[in-house]
Amino acid sequence: MASERLLDDNVLLEELRVGNPEAVEALFDRFHGKIYGLAMSIVKNESDAEEAVQDVFMTVVRKAHTFKGNSALYSWIYRICVNTCLMRLRGKRRHETVSIEEFMPMFTEDGMHASPIDDWSKEVERKALDKELGRMIRKSTENLSEKYRVVFVLSDVEGLSNEETAKILGLTVPAVKSRLHRARLYMREQLSRYLSEGKSH
Amino acid sequence: MNCKELVYLLEDYLEGTMEEHLMRDFSAHIEKCEPCKNFLKTYDTTRILCRKMKPEEIPAEVRTRLKEFVMEKGREYRKDIEKYRERAVCERREQVAALIGAYVSHRLSPNTSALFEAHRDRCPKCGAFLRSINGGEAPSPVPLEVEEHLAEFLETLPLGESPASG
Repeated sequence: MASERLLDDNVLLEELRVGNPEAVEALFDRFHGKIYGLAMSIVKNESDAEEAVQDVFMTVVRKAHTFKGNSALYSWIYRICVNTCLMRLRGKRRHETVSIEEFMPMFTEDGMHASPIDDWSKEVERKALDKELGRMIRKSTENLSEKYRVVFVLSDVEGLSNEETAKILGLTVPAVKSRLHRARLYMREQLSRYLSEGKSH
Repeated sequence: MNCKELVYLLEDYLEGTMEEHLMRDFSAHIEKCEPCKNFLKTYDTTRILCRKMKPEEIPAEVRTRLKEFVMEKGREYRKDIEKYRERAVCERREQVAALIGAYVSHRLSPNTSALFEAHRDRCPKCGAFLRSINGGEAPSPVPLEVEEHLAEFLETLPLGESPASG
């Protein structure tokens, strides 16, 4: 276990800048779980995630001296992680993702709901601990294109504010809100379809 | 307010950030519209479910492997810290030169171009420098302060954005 004073961001960075191995260990101990989880949700497979995590730590260690402290340390590290994962995806054949448009609500010309809307919220509350429902949600997020998935993961899985997410991704806050809203509309529709399928059996 | 507009505003409503006059319209609509009532409930439930998602946990053997790797690389880095630093300085210079090159030859991607011009117009140092080269070659080396600013600019670009198009 690395020493306690390395828990302070400024001390940690200072020590990383001089290449102190204890600082590298402290950095790893503190961030590996978060980085791995984030990488997994973007690249979606274990071996890519593992390599991405390697790259992220290398970048953080080597770039520690360029970190200006304009943002929190963790948000700088998240940014590096998202960037590393996106580059990795770009180098590969694209994963099949669904078109989000097919899951957006439909309206009539005068702006009314074009199809009936069921209230399945109570049903989901009863199923809240259902493993299958959890799997279905995860699967659905995996099918989202990166553009939406990354925003969704930072906001809902990591629990960051829209401002933090915007800063990490280099987007404006309205852009983050709009992507998040569309991602949720998509998830709502996925859940609707899933639950109505269940009923028809 | 119609159903389509209401759906567009759901997030603001649930976050409690909706403006008062919209709030009145919103409540008036939802009061008498069954589909929107149901949409709101299911949308809210979706949000709650999504927020309960947990990140994947790291398997123990992956953690061990990664830790060994990172510690090893950390030791290598310490030995050759100067070499790595020099390489980092060179990389930064190349990236900034590529950015300026793409700018003068109008090869910046549309997104980057808009952000770059906003920075140029806001920042007197970079603005003056870019006007001074005005279509011609950038002097080498680029003034340190400008290089620092432009390196920082590159760092804040939206992720997944490549500065030059094509």
